[in-house]
Formats: sequence, structure tokens, C-alpha cells
Amino acid sequence: MSERTLVEAVALALQHAMEDNPDVVVLGEDVAVNGGVFRATNGLHEQFGGERVMDTPLAENMIAGLAIGMAAEGLRPVAEFQFMGFIYPAMEQIVGHAARLRNRTRGRLACPLVLRAPFGAGIHAPEHHSESTEALFAHIPGVRVVIPSSPARAYGLLLAAIADPDPVLFLEPKRIYRLVKETFTPNREPLPLDVCFTLREGSDITLVSWGASVVETLQAAEQLATLNVSAEVIDMATVSPLDMTSVLDSVVKTGRCVIVHEAARSGGIGGEIAAQIGEFCLLDLLAPVQRVTGYDTVVPLAKMEHLYLPGVEQIVAAAISAVEFE
Amino acid sequence: MQERVAQFEVDHVGFLDASGQVLEDLPEDIADLEVIKQGYRSMVLTRLFDARAINLQRTGQLGTFPSSLGQEAVTIGFSLAMQPNDRLVPSYREHGALLCRGVTLCELLLYWGGDERGSDYQQARKDFPLAVPIATQCLHAAGVATAIKLRSEPQAVVTVCGDGATSKGDFAEALNVAGVWQLPILFVVTNNQWAISVPRESQSHAQTLAQKAIAAGIDCLQVDGNDLLAVEYASRKALERARAGGGPFLIEAITYRMGDHTTADDARRYRDDDEVSSHWQGDPVARIRSYLVEQGGWTKDQEEALQADCQVELERAVADYLAVAPQPASAMFDYLYAELPEAYEGQRQQVIDRAAEGKTDE
Amino acid sequence: MSKFKLPDLGEGLTEAEISAWFVNVGDHVVVDQPLVAMETDKAVVDVPSPQAGQITGLFGEVGDIVATGAVLVEFAGDEAADRPDSGSDSGTVVGDIEVGDKTVTEEAIQVKAGGARLKATPAVRALARKHDIDLSVVTPSGSNGTITKADIERVAALLEQVGALEKLTGARRSMALNMAQAGEEVVPATVFDDADISDWSAGTEPMPRLLRAMVVACQGEPALNAWYDSHAVGRRLLSQIDIGIAVDSEHGLFVPVLRDAQTLDASQLKNRLAELIEQTRDRTIPAAELRGSTITLSNFGSIGGRYANPVVLPPTVAIVGAGRSRDEVVARQGQPTVRRILPLSLCFDHRAVTGGEATRFIQLMMADLSLAD
Repeated sequence: MSERTLVEAVALALQHAMEDNPDVVVLGEDVAVNGGVFRATNGLHEQFGGERVMDTPLAENMIAGLAIGMAAEGLRPVAEFQFMGFIYPAMEQIVGHAARLRNRTRGRLACPLVLRAPFGAGIHAPEHHSESTEALFAHIPGVRVVIPSSPARAYGLLLAAIADPDPVLFLEPKRIYRLVKETFTPNREPLPLDVCFTLREGSDITLVSWGASVVETLQAAEQLATLNVSAEVIDMATVSPLDMTSVLDSVVKTGRCVIVHEAARSGGIGGEIAAQIGEFCLLDLLAPVQRVTGYDTVVPLAKMEHLYLPGVEQIVAAAISAVEFE
Repeated sequence: MQERVAQFEVDHVGFLDASGQVLEDLPEDIADLEVIKQGYRSMVLTRLFDARAINLQRTGQLGTFPSSLGQEAVTIGFSLAMQPNDRLVPSYREHGALLCRGVTLCELLLYWGGDERGSDYQQARKDFPLAVPIATQCLHAAGVATAIKLRSEPQAVVTVCGDGATSKGDFAEALNVAGVWQLPILFVVTNNQWAISVPRESQSHAQTLAQKAIAAGIDCLQVDGNDLLAVEYASRKALERARAGGGPFLIEAITYRMGDHTTADDARRYRDDDEVSSHWQGDPVARIRSYLVEQGGWTKDQEEALQADCQVELERAVADYLAVAPQPASAMFDYLYAELPEAYEGQRQQVIDRAAEGKTDE
Repeated sequence: MSKFKLPDLGEGLTEAEISAWFVNVGDHVVVDQPLVAMETDKAVVDVPSPQAGQITGLFGEVGDIVATGAVLVEFAGDEAADRPDSGSDSGTVVGDIEVGDKTVTEEAIQVKAGGARLKATPAVRALARKHDIDLSVVTPSGSNGTITKADIERVAALLEQVGALEKLTGARRSMALNMAQAGEEVVPATVFDDADISDWSAGTEPMPRLLRAMVVACQGEPALNAWYDSHAVGRRLLSQIDIGIAVDSEHGLFVPVLRDAQTLDASQLKNRLAELIEQTRDRTIPAAELRGSTITLSNFGSIGGRYANPVVLPPTVAIVGAGRSRDEVVARQGQPTVRRILPLSLCFDHRAVTGGEATRFIQLMMADLSLAD
């Protein structure tokens, strides 16, 4: 058994993946000698050397393009974007190439790469370091978007992402990088992609979330329990493709749903989930599906950050209004 | 106090004049005549294919097509210098190079006809498909070269881009990483003087495009891109060096885009007919033919046979292309992931049903 | 149009074979651009274009022999179509942008919010459907007037208690539907009065006298013997008087029609009436005889009651209701006296009939009814 924080779990997964498969390589800015600005690649350069753990020049688009070329050649590159806020120059490479290389060559070439990026707000960072724009990528066919919410899931899902033959954008919620240590067995086994994790069973309402917001969602469920509301909590984990089967099964049972995401409201993935709930279990709903989200604003700087992120209070209030709806 | 800490030079190389006459003594290791004849055959086939493709587009049997008219010496030149296990990472106008690499005429037609199977090359399995977003392929090439270097393969990568592409970040980023990591990669900049309607002088203030390599610490050469001999020679030297671990190289091939940007473009909107005419004087196909006639005993019979063979091959490929059965509608989904996620199975079935309905309506 | 003829390719050669075309019809070419490869006895020669222009014709296929001086290529003339800024501009660099030929004008409409309807969630609606409950009978108890699941269940329990729903059929069903339609359409008004039938001989049956009185009144006030068309906003005054007679039976309400009442004398009226009633009660009356009345009579007085608001059945515009006759003390010349009174109700559709017409109609009936015979 190991006790690890989320970011340590990421480093451990990388280490195990690289030990088990010589084709796994790591690249990015400051990932080698420095071990990554968040220490996510700590120790890898010492263990595997500069050929497999590469400090790249400063160019995000280049990092993505390199990874694509390497992946097409059969390597398993795990490329780091230092912050999600700097991933945007790489959009062309991700959307135009990584996501469609298998499709456009009818399977002749594939792109088994992982693009890792710390994302999300809540660490009082300077501008541009608090992005939660996963919806932009969830909209792109051909690329998976995976978001762990705990150390154990970070470990297992990253192993799965590296083993997957298709491109995965692996977004690490940096607010909870070190929030807790978790004890888990680092058994080198991947967790499944494309499925949710039900973290708490309940009968009155389904709370759906991913990333750091799972922490507040679980806390909200605790509070709701004291108010006699039994909340089921689902961590989507993979937000593209969505495991709607599990979500719908839960909503059929509870009749109510609140979706929680830190990302801005409009065009967020919560909308897609809500639309599918409406489409497939309308008659089971006892109340409208609600979304508790970040506002449609630029993430405010440190002084106002606490007013932006969806907190336990907001989640509980939404759940109560759903329960009392009629 | 001020002292010079760096300066640069860029050389231009050419072996033939505009009419195909040898300028001065050729190097001893210039390509032998059999190789040049092979190259000439490829250039003729490429030019005929080009015209045929335009014809197919005009008659509604092919989609938008970018002509490579006038640039045949560049693409065939570097292709002659490539080994089968090298990799080609092209842009979208290198039809001649793809043909040399073993991509079939039918595959080319399928791609431009709007069928993804055109990129599923049966030969050249590791070559990258055409790249449309400008200069993005330069980074893929760097990634491929990184993998080759990591595995200590004695191979090299050729990537091709245009004059417009040298303005793009991807190009600069690719040069930069190729230089600092000393990747086995040959960058061929096809300077055909036009990026759609933007002429070379509006694209960059740099005196040559080759010198952008120097900024990344990479050696470079400017070459007469309409001289097959020169392109082949320079490419061969660069690739031999790269394969041996000597690092990257950049060739700026000076040529001219004789056709429109694509079949949907009309270049007369932005350039003079007279300018285009003047470039027919240095037509690469005519020049190398002259060379072969003078130096290689190329005969009329050979020429006749070549034209006839090319026509036959072309017509057979066109017939094959027109006869290809369409992909099943599910192909839209079947190559999106190694295994289609359950989440999309409903949609996949929808498109299958939709295609079936279409058939029963007929 | 200009034609380019195959030039002399060298020393008086008379012909050459087309080896390969380098251009297509429709291409724009420039001076010196190779058009075609021609094969002579001595060589294969590229033939350059003599001019810039658009190719409108190629004369010959690969393998054809062309004579020196024969037309090889045709160029478009100096027409507008030749210039870049004319209609040949595709206006794109990839694909096909369709060019339509319609000009449209549009005005955006401002969508106004609709009125309030019954509020219930889809799940509640589905539950109501399952219990076969019309939402309009459910009193909402939710906030904002929403019908809740509990409301549906309450109504369902209630209906269960009161017993199963009897679905209406036959005459009862027709009555329900016809009356509903009448209720939606007709604008009813009623005038009540009393006929003095003291002078009738003993045993006089009221129906024939009523029928006769109606005929007289229709002839005097034809506006009440008419059909009204609400869609066309028009009426048809009818010369024929076909009186619909409300007949109560164990199967429900029927209204057989006594046709051409204006042509029948007293005994004919009586006989025809008896026939209709018998046929109605034993259900042998043909359907045609239950249709097409021009005015209706409801003699509910045969059972009881005085005055009523009987329902005008569209497209007719009037219905007479006759109550039970009774002795009544009335004032005549300042003195109380007992008279035999037959109460009358005339309900009319005020869209087609004025109060004046209706009042005069009932006066005419009263006058005729007051006669001894």
C-alpha cells in the first residue's frame, strides 16, 4: 500500500508506466531536471535519463506536434502542458491532428499520446493559471478527456490513459494536488476509462461532478444527510465520452439531479449531461436538472476567487430546491 | 567595445541553366543517368496526373485540387535521395513525391476525391498523410525524427513546406527543436513565390528563407528548385549526413507556382500573365529533358514510350478510382477510436440507418 | 474566339501525332505555357501557347494525327467572360460555395410570451394520463399553481371512491357533444311569457296547438326560422318550417323532425306527431328524420316545470320551451280571477335574432294559443 497525494500519484503512475513499457516517454517544459513545476515528473529524469524524459524548448504547440509525430511512430509520449492556460497554442495540433489521425488514415496511423495539464482555480495563482476549459476539448471527436478527483483515481486513470491507443487529455485538478493523502495499492493496474465512479450511494438526489469539485460535492452530500436528504455522488472521471448509462440509472432511481462543475456555465459539459437526462429520463424527473457552476466570467484573481468557485453552500441549496420542488 | 560574434552566409546552388545546359563541371558524385531518367519519368507522370486531376475536378469527379505544375523538380528531386525506410512528412502539394514513395495514383485521387481511404497508403506505411493546416507537419516530422533518434535507426525524415509556412510558429518551433536536439531531419522549403495571393516579398523581410535555419543553429542551402540535378544532389548530401547523426538541414528550393493555388482559385486576380509566362522559360521538365537528350542519349522513341505508358497508367488509375465502391457510412465512426466508445454507438447506428434509407429512396 | 493552328514543327513536316495534352478545356493559360506534346518523325516536342487566354476547345485526342496548319486549340475571345473580375470568380479557395439566385426580404418577428396554461411536470402529466384524469379537473396545490403528483393521486382516489366512469354512448353521447358545441357557439337570450289557454275546450292536447302556434309565429317572424352560419357570418331564412320535437325516452333525448309543418292541418299535425313519437320510442325512426330542423319545440311541461332556458341547437336560431299549464290567479280589469296559464320560454341565438323579433314571435304564439281553436 502507498500513501500518496494526487500529484505524487501522478508521478508514481508515470514511473510505473515507464518501467513497464520502454516506449513510454515524457516531454514538456521543466519536466526533466526540475521534475516538473508541480513535481509531477519528480525522479523520472534520474531514473530513466534524458532520452526518455525530455526538457523541451518553450513552445506548447511544438510539444503537441512532437508528441503526435512520436506517437505515430509507436512511442507512447506523455506530454505536459505546464498549465491548461497555456494549452491554447496547441489547439490546432490537438484538434486538427491528434484527434483525427487515426480517422483520416483509416487506421493506418494512430496517436496513442497523453497530454497532461494541471487545471482549475483555487490556488490564488496569477492570471491565466486557473483555467477550466475542458468543454472545448470534450467537444472534439477523437480525443478523450479524463479528469481524476483523487490520488487513487489519478494513478489508475493515468495508467489507463497511457495504455490507451488513442489520444487522451488528462487534466489534473491542481487545487487538490496535495489536499489529501490517500492510501491505495499501486498495483500497476489501470482503472477503466469511459465509466463513472459512484462515490456515495443515495436515494433522493444524484449529484454529478468531476475534478476538484468532487470534494465540495461530497461535503455537500454529508450536509444533506443531516437534513435527511440522501444524496448519491457520481464522479464522471471521463468527461468525453460520457458514461451516461450510469448517470441515467441513478437519476431514474432518485428523480433529481444537480451537476457541479467549476468551469463556466454556458457551454459547459453540465449542459450536455442535463440535455441527455432530459432526453432519456424526462418522465422520471421530479424536478428540473440544475447546474451549479462557475460563472460566465473570466476567473477572477485571488481576491475574489472565493466568490467564483461553486461551494458546498451552493450545492446544498440547489439540492434542497430540487427536493422541495413542486 | 563591439566585436562581431556571429555572421551568416547562404549559398545558392544550381547545375543547369534555364535551357538545361550544364553550367560548369558537375561534381563527380552527381546522380547517374539512370537515376535522372527515373526522375524524369516521375516528373512527366506527375505533370500529366496534375492536368488530369484538374480535368476531373472540372467535370465534377474530384474535389478541390492544388496543382503542382512547375514544381516537379523539387518533389522528385528530394524523393530520389530518400531511402524506403526514411519517412516523408509532406504538406499538400507534393504529389510527385508521394508517387515516388509508392503512394498510388488511385490513392491520390481518392484523397482529393474526398475519400479518407486515400490516406491509408498500402506502401509507405509510415509516411504521414497530407497536411492541410500550414506548417503543422514540421512538428510532426520533428516528433518522428525524435522517435527515430531514440531508437537509433539509421534513417531520416524529410518534411516539406512552402514559403508561406515559414511565417508560422510551427515552422520556427520545429526548426528550433530540430536544432537543439540535433534531429535527423531535412526541411525542404518549396519557395514557389506565392502563398495563395501573397507574394514572397510580402511574406518575410528575410533576404532568404533558408537563413531562418541559421537562427535555429541549422545548416542550410538555397537551391535552384527547377534543376532536378541540384535538388537531388543537395538532398542526398543532407540526408546522408542526417542518417549518420550529423543533424538537421534545410534546403530552400527556388521554384514557381505555375498554376492556381487550387482549382477554386483564379490567380489572374493577383498576378500577371506575363510574369507567369516568363517562368515557362525555366520549366523544370523541359530542362531536365534537354539534359537527358544531350548527356544521356534520351531518344524520341523513349519519349514516345514514356508518354504512352504514362497515359495508360493514368487512365487505368482514373478508371480504378471511379470504380471504387463507396465506404460504408459507419466508416465515419469506425476509425475514430481503436474501439468506438459505447456512448457513440447510437449515433453510429443512426448514420447506418440514414444511409440505408437513402438507398431505398432511389 | 481565336484558333491556334498546329505550327510547322520543323523543316516542313506535314503532320504530327498528339502524344499528350497538358491542358484542359476551361484552363487559363499564359504565353509559352506548353499546351501539348506532339510527336514527329524526329522528336516529341512541346508546343507552347501563342497567347494568354482561356481554352475553349481542344481538337484531337492522344494518338490522333494532326496536319500542320490544322486547328489544334481554340481560345476564348476578348469577351467579358475572359477577365478575372467577371463572373468566373469562384469566390473561394476550396470547395464549392453555392450561388443562389433569389433575393429575399425578411422581417424578424418578436415572439410574445403566451398565456398561462395548466402547469404540471411531464412526470405528473404522464401520471394523469395513466389514471385517465383530465388535468383541468385537478385543483393544483403546488406553488405557482402547479399540479403535483399528490394532486393527481388525490383525484384518482376520489374518482375511485365515486365509482367507475360510465362512458357515454349513443344518444347520451350525442347530446353531450352537441350541447358542448352549442355552448361554445351560441349566444343565448330568453324571453318568458304566459299564454292564456282558458278558452280551450276540455281535453285539448297542447302539442298540436303549440305546433300550430309556432307555424303562425314563424310566418310572422321568419327570422326565428333560420339557419345561422358562424364562419360565413350569414343566415338562411327558410321558407319550410321543419319543427324539431324534443322527445324524452329511456334511451335519451331525441329530436325527430316534423317536416313542412306549415302545410299540415290540425289532424295531420296530430297524426304525424304521434307517428314520430312512436317511431322514436321504438327506435325505428330513420336517421334522416332526426336531422335538419329549422326550429325546435321542447314540451317539457308534459313532465312538469314552468320556465326554462332550453338550448338552441345550431344551426337553428330558436327553441320554444312549453311548461306545464296551471290555474293561476291573475288580474283582469282590476279584479282577481282564475285563468288557465301555459308558460312559454323562447330561447334564441342573439347573433341572428333580435330581442324585438323574439318578443313579437312569442306574442304571436300567445295570440294563437289563446284562441279557443
